[in-house]
Amino acid sequence: MSDSSLLQVDDISRRDALRRIALALTAVGAQSLDWASAQQVHHAARSASLSGVYQAKFLNPHEYRTVARLAELIVPADERGGSAADAGAPQFIDVLCSENEQLGRIYSGGLGWFDSWMRQQHDTSFVDAPEQQQTEMLDAIVAAEESGRESEVDTELGPGVLFFDWIRKMSVDAYYSSEIGIKDLRYQGNGAYSEYTVPKEALDFIKPLL
Amino acid sequence: MLNTPMTQGSSKSDVFDVVVVGAGAGGGTMSRVMAGKGAKVALLEAGPKLVPEEEFKEHDWPYHYDHRGAGPGGAGYFGRGKPFGFMRTTSGGWELPDEPYTVGAGSEFVWFRSRIVGGRTNHYGRMSFRLSEWDLKARDRDGVGPNWPIGYVDLAPYYDKAEKFIGVTGTHEGIPSAPDGVFHEPPPPKAHELLVQATGKKLGIPFIANRRAVITRSINGRAACHYCGQCGRGCLTASAYSASQVDIFPALKTGNLTLLTDAMAREVLTNASGKAEGVLYIDRKTRQVKRVIGKSVVLAASTCESARILLNSKSKLFPNGLANGSGMVGRNLMDTVGLSVSGYVPALEGMPVYNTDGFGSAHLYAPWWGYNDHGRLGFPRGYHIEFGGGFRMPGVHAGHDAARRAGYGKRIKERMRREYGARVGFAGRGEMIPNRFSYCEIDPEIVDDWGIPVLRFHFKFSDYEWKQARHMEETFKSIIEALGGRVTGVGNAWEKSGISTGGSIIHEVGTARMGTNPRSSVLNPYCQAHEVKNLFVTDGSCFVTNPDKNPTLTINALSWRAADYLAEAMRKGDV
Repeated sequence: MSDSSLLQVDDISRRDALRRIALALTAVGAQSLDWASAQQVHHAARSASLSGVYQAKFLNPHEYRTVARLAELIVPADERGGSAADAGAPQFIDVLCSENEQLGRIYSGGLGWFDSWMRQQHDTSFVDAPEQQQTEMLDAIVAAEESGRESEVDTELGPGVLFFDWIRKMSVDAYYSSEIGIKDLRYQGNGAYSEYTVPKEALDFIKPLL
Repeated sequence: MLNTPMTQGSSKSDVFDVVVVGAGAGGGTMSRVMAGKGAKVALLEAGPKLVPEEEFKEHDWPYHYDHRGAGPGGAGYFGRGKPFGFMRTTSGGWELPDEPYTVGAGSEFVWFRSRIVGGRTNHYGRMSFRLSEWDLKARDRDGVGPNWPIGYVDLAPYYDKAEKFIGVTGTHEGIPSAPDGVFHEPPPPKAHELLVQATGKKLGIPFIANRRAVITRSINGRAACHYCGQCGRGCLTASAYSASQVDIFPALKTGNLTLLTDAMAREVLTNASGKAEGVLYIDRKTRQVKRVIGKSVVLAASTCESARILLNSKSKLFPNGLANGSGMVGRNLMDTVGLSVSGYVPALEGMPVYNTDGFGSAHLYAPWWGYNDHGRLGFPRGYHIEFGGGFRMPGVHAGHDAARRAGYGKRIKERMRREYGARVGFAGRGEMIPNRFSYCEIDPEIVDDWGIPVLRFHFKFSDYEWKQARHMEETFKSIIEALGGRVTGVGNAWEKSGISTGGSIIHEVGTARMGTNPRSSVLNPYCQAHEVKNLFVTDGSCFVTNPDKNPTLTINALSWRAADYLAEAMRKGDV
């Protein structure tokens, strides 16, 4: 792919670069494109990317810490990438809760349930419990979830099963929609190329199957 | 109707040669061709102007948005987000708050509208297949449904023109049911597509190069495709066809085209002698009722909307709606038959990750292969296969299934890595036979926010379609099994009953069909109303049947053909 790669842009400036190409075409009806200048536009715009410290809008500090801890347990860091918390899961969840009353209620209630369960078992909140107690609780919820697929969900853990599914899917989403999650899967696209080719490694892989 | 006190008249100098309603494939083609011939054209669009740089989300990453593509407030988690996802759809949807529609008891039907210059062509799938003689004269062979009044020989020159102009990929195959065209070179098959192709061959299903309205070499100042695979988000370089960028924006430069946006057409105005003389519309921005006057009127507002306008254009001469002496306006409503099956193919695990974006959609498809087998198949018409797979851009919803099965922890990442690129999905797109239970009419009670009576839909698939859908299901399961894979799902959200919900494929056609007999058809073979010589309808409503060929290319061709006919008739003074 490298020979035909014309544009490898990886942030919001993509649109500026593409816009530049479109404008160049409209202006002169060019048959070939000024890719070098498109890339320059890209590099200039790149420095203007998002930054700054996030101020939570919906979750209180304790809830925010709890969400971050759960996100970290659900998608932990490993050698190929950070955790869902590193990928911005707490901010992602907080923003959406602040915009959506229904979702906000799911999180307020669910996080409250997590703490009260942990308090009943170990007289502490979820986020302040040691890791072993946290994973024991998640293991119990996942076991209840799995048995619930065959019969009724364990009534005591029912609220936990429902809420855990929410925070799990949203943590996973935060991770796989983030720069680190996309890199983890080694997604190669979202570029601009003068031609499309399938690399030899992929063709070699498929050949014995044909 | 004409002289309602609220209307603001145009001065004599504002008489256009052609008033076109609807800035999609049909209206865009008509406007471009007529403006190019020097005619003064007014084009009404119910939605706003399109600014691609603002509207299209091409090349955005999910992390450019606080909501990561789940939509503001996480609407996507509650089934309330934009149809097909935040990134993909440019504008429009199944429900527009200010323009409701109703559905008759016992029917299910959904209606996707895109109110913006370019309409649904800004984000459609770009599949571009020619109708064949086999499609146009199918009744001669199986006795089911009507024939078209035109044959392939009539359409072929206009397919040639349309393909040369908009640009369509493909290869020459010589398949009778899928005629070859004037093609751009298609991109090569991706690795998993080669496997599907080889597997199809064993099962007797031919997978050939996909035919899509995407240019792979620069034409008319449009850049060749840059293979980002995001046609569905709108194409900033107009390498994928859209009526907005390819027909309308260039036509505006001729100086002959006047584009009126936020203009919600209400009815076609007629004079005492029964000729069309303009269109009455509501300016959405001011809520004023206005009219635009023309020597001819072309409706291309989309299949059901054009029927709605005709049915709402009642007068003493046309008490049942304009051009509706046959009673066929709104009748013969068809959509495409759809069914999808998804699967997981372990043999694809471990393939080196590479860029599979390509030109959007699969690089291969399977045209209907069973055209000689209908005697034993039990259903009269065929379908083609579209399919997906590869290493798609990750994002929200990508990991839900893997996460549920993994529980939590590092197993989620491991599973995601292992399964990345090993999923496939097959979708059938098949022909529906028109039936008397499927039609739209004016709801006698409900009006939209603009005071315009709305449509009420009735829809039913017959055994023909149900049997075809079962054949799709069995075929796709057998392909997945032959790939050594396992079936992971049958039917998407619209297909829970085992067949697509009417309207959900967004291929609705047929509500003002063409024919040679004015008692059984609305239009003549040139899309001209039998009863009103200076009125044309050039969107999907003129279709007689709905073969398994996605309709847009045929709309382009028929509208171009109608434009040539209209121009010649105007020159001779016949219109």
